[in-house]
Amino acid sequence: MTNHWIDIRNADVVFIIGSNAAENHPISFKYVQEAKDRGGKMINVDPRFTKTSSLADVYAPIRPGTDIAFMSGIINYALQNDFIQKEYVVEYTNAAYLINPAYKFNDGIFSGYDSGKKTYEKDTWKYQLDDKGIPKKDKSLKDPNCVYQLMKKHFERYTPEKVESISGCPVESFKKVAELYCSTHKPDKVATIMYAMGATQHTIGVQNIRTYSILQMLMGNMGLAGGGINALRGESNVQGSTDHALLWHIIPGYLGAPVASKDVNLEAYIKNNTPKTNDPMSMNWWQHKPKYLVSMLKAWFGENAKKENDFCYDLLPKAHKPVPYMTMFEDMYKGQHKGAIFMGTNPIVGGPNSNLILKAIEKLDWMICADLWETDTSVFWKRPGANTAAIKTEVFLLPMVSSVEKEGSVSNSGRWAQWRYKAQQGPGNSISDLDLIDELFLKIREMYEHDVKAGKKVALPDPITKANWSYRHPGEHEADPHIVAKEINGYYVGKDGKKGKQMENFLKLAADGSTACGNWIYSGSYTEKGNMMARRGLKDASNKIGMYPEWSWTWPVNRRIIYNRAAVNRKGEPWDPKRWVVKWTGSAWKGDVVDGGATAGPDQKNPFIMNPEGVARLFAPALADGPFPEHFEPLETVARNLMNSRQLNPAVSVLDTMKSTIGSTARFPYIGTSYRVVEHWQAGAMTRNLPWLTELVPDMFCEISLSLAKAKGIKNGDKVKISSARGEIDSYALVTDRVRPFKIDGKMVEMVGMIWHFGQGCAESGDSCNTLTPSVGDPNSSIPEFKAFLVNIQKA
Amino acid sequence: MAEKAFLVDTSKCQGCRACQVACKQWNGLPGEKTEFFAGPEYTNPGKLSAITWNHVIFFPIDRSNETRPIWTIMHKKCFHCAEANCMAVCPEKAIYKKDGWTVIDQDKCIGCGACVHACVYQVPEIAEIHHTNDAGQHIIVKDRSHKCNACTQNEREIPACVTVCPSGALLYDYRNKMIDYAQKRVKELKADGYPNASIYGLDQYGGLGVITVLRDKPEKYDLPVNPPKFDHVKAEHTKDVYALLSTATMGVPALKRFAYKAAKSISKDA
Repeated sequence: MTNHWIDIRNADVVFIIGSNAAENHPISFKYVQEAKDRGGKMINVDPRFTKTSSLADVYAPIRPGTDIAFMSGIINYALQNDFIQKEYVVEYTNAAYLINPAYKFNDGIFSGYDSGKKTYEKDTWKYQLDDKGIPKKDKSLKDPNCVYQLMKKHFERYTPEKVESISGCPVESFKKVAELYCSTHKPDKVATIMYAMGATQHTIGVQNIRTYSILQMLMGNMGLAGGGINALRGESNVQGSTDHALLWHIIPGYLGAPVASKDVNLEAYIKNNTPKTNDPMSMNWWQHKPKYLVSMLKAWFGENAKKENDFCYDLLPKAHKPVPYMTMFEDMYKGQHKGAIFMGTNPIVGGPNSNLILKAIEKLDWMICADLWETDTSVFWKRPGANTAAIKTEVFLLPMVSSVEKEGSVSNSGRWAQWRYKAQQGPGNSISDLDLIDELFLKIREMYEHDVKAGKKVALPDPITKANWSYRHPGEHEADPHIVAKEINGYYVGKDGKKGKQMENFLKLAADGSTACGNWIYSGSYTEKGNMMARRGLKDASNKIGMYPEWSWTWPVNRRIIYNRAAVNRKGEPWDPKRWVVKWTGSAWKGDVVDGGATAGPDQKNPFIMNPEGVARLFAPALADGPFPEHFEPLETVARNLMNSRQLNPAVSVLDTMKSTIGSTARFPYIGTSYRVVEHWQAGAMTRNLPWLTELVPDMFCEISLSLAKAKGIKNGDKVKISSARGEIDSYALVTDRVRPFKIDGKMVEMVGMIWHFGQGCAESGDSCNTLTPSVGDPNSSIPEFKAFLVNIQKA
Repeated sequence: MAEKAFLVDTSKCQGCRACQVACKQWNGLPGEKTEFFAGPEYTNPGKLSAITWNHVIFFPIDRSNETRPIWTIMHKKCFHCAEANCMAVCPEKAIYKKDGWTVIDQDKCIGCGACVHACVYQVPEIAEIHHTNDAGQHIIVKDRSHKCNACTQNEREIPACVTVCPSGALLYDYRNKMIDYAQKRVKELKADGYPNASIYGLDQYGGLGVITVLRDKPEKYDLPVNPPKFDHVKAEHTKDVYALLSTATMGVPALKRFAYKAAKSISKDA
C-alpha cells in the first residue's frame, strides 16, 4: 500500500477491483464503511457478485483476465473528456516528457521486440534528452512524441463498445464506473484503488496494476489522503517477507539480486544497479543504493567485510538464471534438487499445476516440513492414489509454534511493522522459525568448520564460516528476536563515539564500511530510543487524517503515506486543505514525514523520488512487456483477442513442463478461476484443522451460474467433476445467480469459480483446485496465472 | 424489555461470520459437523441449534432491480422478545428474564421442548446426548434446551458477537439509541435507492431485543411483520395439567418430559 488501512476512510470513491476485500480482508471494511458513512461511494468490479459487491454502490462484472481492457476504457474516457487533474499530470508525471521518435506500437507489439527470445530491447522507449542530459518536455502536451499524446493514441482504441465485447461488462455499467471514478479528477476529490490477487495473478498481472497506477496519476490521487494504489496483501506478514527478500530477484530492501553474468564484483553491481540523473529536480533516491548494499554486507559478514575484499560481496549468491517459484519446481521435477525445506508453506495445495509439484517432490531425497500441523505436503506420500512404495523421499515434520507463541514483528499491507509479544508457550517440543533457522545454521557452520579444520575438501565454505551470526545472548539456547531486529535497523561500526550505537535512520548509512544495516528500509525501527515497532501511542498527527504516527512504526522513516510530496502543488499548498497530508510553510514541512528529506521545498524537487526522473511514469520504459498496458488473452482462453492479432502476452515464455498441457475450448469450454473464502486460510492447513471453521465451509466447492447448471443437469449441492488439461478434481457445486455468464464478442461464456483451500491432508480434506491451474506467469513478476484458465465440468 | 438491544444492520454485514465463531468460542460450544452448505448460499449450519446460538443467513441474491442487486446477509440469533412465548409456555419456569434478556435456567430445564414449539423464530433447540448402550446401539437422549443468552451467563460487558464485528453491522447499546440509529439508517437506505428499506423488531411481541435493519421488506427475509398471537389461555391450561401430572414424576427429567407431553395432548383435546 502507498497509503494504509485507516486511510481508506478518507476516500471519496473506494474502487475495489481484483479483490474481494469484504471476504478476504474483513477488517479493511471497517474503513470502507467509514468512508461510506462520510458520504463516499464504493465501486466493485469482479467476475462474480461477491460479498464486496453486496455492499457496493456500483457493481460491474468483467470476465477474468480483462482488467486491462476495462481500465484502459476508463483511461480513454478520462482522456477523451479531459477528466484529468491537469496541473498534477503536467507537474508530477511524465506526460510532458518526449519519447524517442523511433518508439512504435503496432498490432500488440512495441518497438524493439525479439520474437525468438520473447523479450524487448528498450532503446526506443527512452526519453529524448537535451544537451545537459535532462529529458525534454513539452508542458503544453502537444508534441506528438510526448507521453500524453502517445497515451491518447494508444488508449483511444479502448472504446466502451470494445470494453463490452472483451470484458462482457455492459456499456451502461462500464460508464457508471467510469463516471463515478473520474469524478475524483478534481483536485479536492480523491479515490483509492484497492486490489489483490484477482489483479496480479495473470500473464498480464503487472500491466493490470499499471492501468490502476495510470488512472490514479491522471486523477491526481497519488500521495493524497484517501488515495493511492493499495495492494491488499494476502497474509498478515507477506509485506514483511517481501521487504526482507522472500522473492528470488531481490535482496533485502528491494535491492536487485546480483546476477552472475554481469554483476561480477561490487563495482560492477553498483554500476549496473545504481540509476543516474542529470536533472536537478530529481532526488533519484536509488543513487544511495551502494550505501544500503555495503551496510547490508557489513551486517551479514561483520568484521570479515572489508573495503579491500569488496565487503565480502563475492560471498553473496549470484543468480545464473531467473528462478521464480514455478521454475524452482520445474527444476525439482528435472531432478536438480536433492532436498527441500518447506516452512509454513504447503506447495501441493498452494502452487499452480500441483500434479507437477507432486511429481517434483517425489524426486527429492529428503524433505523437511516445518509447520503447526501435518500439512497436505508433509503427507504427500500417502495421498489417495499415491504409489507409496515407490516414493523414496525421506520426510521430516518439525513442530513449530504459532504466531501468538513467539515474539517478533509483523508488517501489514500499510507497511506498519508492529511488534508482537509472546502470549503463551507453544505446545510440546515446538520451536519458533527463528530458532529453527538459528539452530540449523549453527549446526551447519559447525560441520563446515570441522571439515575445514580436518583438511577435507569443502566447496565454498566462506559464505557460511564468515557470516556474522550471533543472535543469542551469552549462555542462552534460544535466539532473541530483538537482536535480529536491532541488526535489521542497523548500527554504527565506526564513526568515533557512535560505535555500537543504533542507527537513527538510513540517512546516515555509508558505503565505506562504517555502518551496518540488515535492511535499509527498516532503519529507524529499533533505535537508541528503543523498539519503535512496539509503540502503541494513540495520538493523531496535526493533520488529523488518522495517521497515528506513534502507533508502531512504518517504513520508510515512519512515513504513513508515501509520495506525499504529490499531495501539494508546487507552492506547497495541499490539493485538499481539509484532508491535508503535508504542507510547506515556506521554510519547513508540516504533517507526515515528507518524502525525500525535510529541507527541499515543493518547487525544488520532484515528488516521485524513487524514479530517476522524479515523476511518475504514465509511460514506463523499464517493464518487460511494454511501456503501456495492452490487452492480451490468458494462456488458456475462451476468446480471440479483439485488440490485436496476438493472443498471449508476447513477452511470456511458457515452461517446457507446461507446453504439453495447454488446454483449448474444444475439451475445456469454460473459464476457470480461483479464489479464497474468509473461513479458510490460504492452503488450509491452519483452518481445515479447526472445527469452528470447518463447520462453516467443510468441503471443496465451486460456484456456477443457473444457466450452466441447467445445461449440465447440475443441482445445488451436487457432486461434480471439474477437469483441465492438467488434471481432474471432485467438488461440490454451489449453483447461484451471483455468477452469470459473460457475453463475449457476441457469444455467451460460462465460468466455474473455485476455492483453492483444500488438499488431501488435515482434518477436513478435499481435492485441490490447483490440480487444474496452469504454471505460467507474468513476464515481470512470474506470478502464476491462477485467475483465468480453461476447465470442463460434469455431474459426478 | 431489556434496556439495551442488539442492532443488526444487514446493509453493512459483509458475511465474515466472526460473530458465529466468537459465540462458540466464548460460550464453549463445539463446531457442528456439516456437509457442503446446509442453507442457501454459504449458510452453515442451516438453522440455530443447541450448539449454534447465532448463525449468518445468506439469502439468495435478489436481482429484481438489475442495476442494484441485493444480496442480503443476516446475523440471526434469539430475538429476545419482550413478551417471550418460550417463557410463557415453560412448565418449569426455567425461562426467565435477566436484565430483560431471555435466559434458560439449565438447572430447571427438563428438555420438554415447549419453548421450541412456542418460538415463531425457531430459536431454541433441545440438546441431544449421543451414547452407545451395552448392546452397542446408538442412543440419542434429549437433554436440555439451549439458545443465546446475550452473554449474560458467561458474563461480559459487550456480547462476544458484537465485539468481533469489523464493519458496524452488529451493535449493542441502549435500545432507544439503537432504534434512533436504525431509523437514521433506513432513511439513508431509502435515499440511496432502496425504497423498501425497513426495520424489524420495533413492536413484535412487545418489542424485540434485536433490531434488524433491512434493505427490503421483512417478509423477504422470513420475518413476519404480524407474527401469530400467542394463545395464553391454552398455554396456562397446559401448564396447569402439567403441574398436576408432574407431582408423580419424582423429579426425574425423563418422566417430567413424559408428563409434559401428556399434558399437552390433554389440553389439545380440551
